[in-house]
Amino acid sequence: MIERQEYQEYIKQNSPKSPMVRTLFAAFIVGGLICCIGEAIGDVLKVIFKTMSEKDVATWESCIMIFFGSTLTALGLYDKIGHFAGAGSIVPITGFANSIVSPAMEFNREGVFFGVCAKMFVIAGPIIVFGTVASFTVGLIGWFTTL
Amino acid sequence: MRTVFFKNPIYVKSGFTIVGPKEADGNFGDCFDVVLKDDLWCEKSYEKCESKMHRDAITGAIFKAGLKKRDIDFMLAGDLINECAPTALAARNFPTAFFGLYNACSTFTEAVLLGSVLIDGGFAKNVTCSTSSHYSSAERQYRFPLELGNQRPPTAQWTVTGAGCTVLSAEKPKLFNYQVYEDDVIAVDKNLNVDEKTLEKYKKSVDKQKKVVNTDKSNIIKRNFSKQNNDYGAKPEYYVKIVGGTVGKVVDLGIDDESNMGAAMAPAAFDTLTTFFRDTNTTPNDYDGVFSGDLGRFGKQTLEYLMDREGLKLPNWYMDCGASYYLPEQKTFQGGSGAGCVNTAFNSYILKKLQKGELSKVIVVATGALLNKDTPLQKETIPGIAHLFSIEIEKP
Repeated sequence: MIERQEYQEYIKQNSPKSPMVRTLFAAFIVGGLICCIGEAIGDVLKVIFKTMSEKDVATWESCIMIFFGSTLTALGLYDKIGHFAGAGSIVPITGFANSIVSPAMEFNREGVFFGVCAKMFVIAGPIIVFGTVASFTVGLIGWFTTL
Repeated sequence: MRTVFFKNPIYVKSGFTIVGPKEADGNFGDCFDVVLKDDLWCEKSYEKCESKMHRDAITGAIFKAGLKKRDIDFMLAGDLINECAPTALAARNFPTAFFGLYNACSTFTEAVLLGSVLIDGGFAKNVTCSTSSHYSSAERQYRFPLELGNQRPPTAQWTVTGAGCTVLSAEKPKLFNYQVYEDDVIAVDKNLNVDEKTLEKYKKSVDKQKKVVNTDKSNIIKRNFSKQNNDYGAKPEYYVKIVGGTVGKVVDLGIDDESNMGAAMAPAAFDTLTTFFRDTNTTPNDYDGVFSGDLGRFGKQTLEYLMDREGLKLPNWYMDCGASYYLPEQKTFQGGSGAGCVNTAFNSYILKKLQKGELSKVIVVATGALLNKDTPLQKETIPGIAHLFSIEIEKP
């Protein structure tokens, strides 16, 4: 029988690896494209609503991107984009929408309470927790430094 | 000794398979009994669909063997979902003693070994051995929701949507081509052990299915049994019997990557195979069919490397059912896996080859990775297991 250490070394060396060049390129192109669409939406909003403040434009822009992400997930298209683009479609806000809508759809069969509502955050939960903790920490530091 | 030899012949009376559409596009597409049009089959959830597939696979196999449900003494069955729920839900339709089994993807060989032991010991005459797995229900249990836009790693395998059943018997099977029709498979039995409400539900679901069948938009897209000329229509020429097997032990060489199951299971397959060859004083070249379960393409390569080191070179007709299940352009990366993988491959492809006499001495070693969703998170490594049974044919 092969030694434990030797076997692990063999597996490490011989396991099929992701094609780095192709996946990085796909992530760059699709991620960049999603961000460009977001920017374009922001620019269009600025043209239509001239009096809207910069902050409001950014908020509306995020909302519209989330809407697109959720719709594409519901139509069953976002996972196909994700298979191709990887992190390129996970990191933008549309990916965050996907990570909430997809479990909600998946666990719909277990009912509204313990299915959809409880399982909705199984993947996005850590992101929300870390986001809240980070903003609290930064806020605390900011409060101390301006004291 | 871990290797068992049966004193009495244990015949494989019939095998029946039901698979999803993706599996039918793969390499064994022409051999399956029933192919579904979609992976829900008029049900509300994937688990219910799996349960129905399991139920109908057993019914179909019993039918094909020319038996009645009450002729079966024991049912040995299992699947991958929590607490074997789909199997248990399927088993309530049978007035039969039931063993629920779990050994991950090697459940089928475990069931066949135990069934053979029951028959050889004289405790049973007819036994069904069945397993099922479903891509969508397994995916949601072990991994992520289906619609999540993540990338599958190149070592990932694709859980086979399929259910299959083998009927083992102490009697010789009759040698003629059994025809099983849709009505036989999906009919509701009056003697179910279920309450009124569940029975009502079944009747509704069967009615719904029949309606879809009638309107030409059949849920079953391919009924190989209606084709007369293909392999399926040929009548069996040989008796197939189980002659022995090796019960696997749990082997763990410290692989902790749950997306690389082939690497976790290969040492178990190696251990079982070397034990079997040592106990039977044979070499891999003595068998004209060597089949492993669902190691996948990389796992197959690893097993070949391990056997080479030991000086037991696997012949070039060695085949991994998982690696050969799908075509490369179906993008399953390492190939098929799951409790239904080796089962549906055996009951369709291998069994038919044996019945026609194209293979005469075969070993099937199915492997399983024994983990659940939480053990890798708790920094546990993945143990593997492999059970083996060997088959020979007998001239009538």
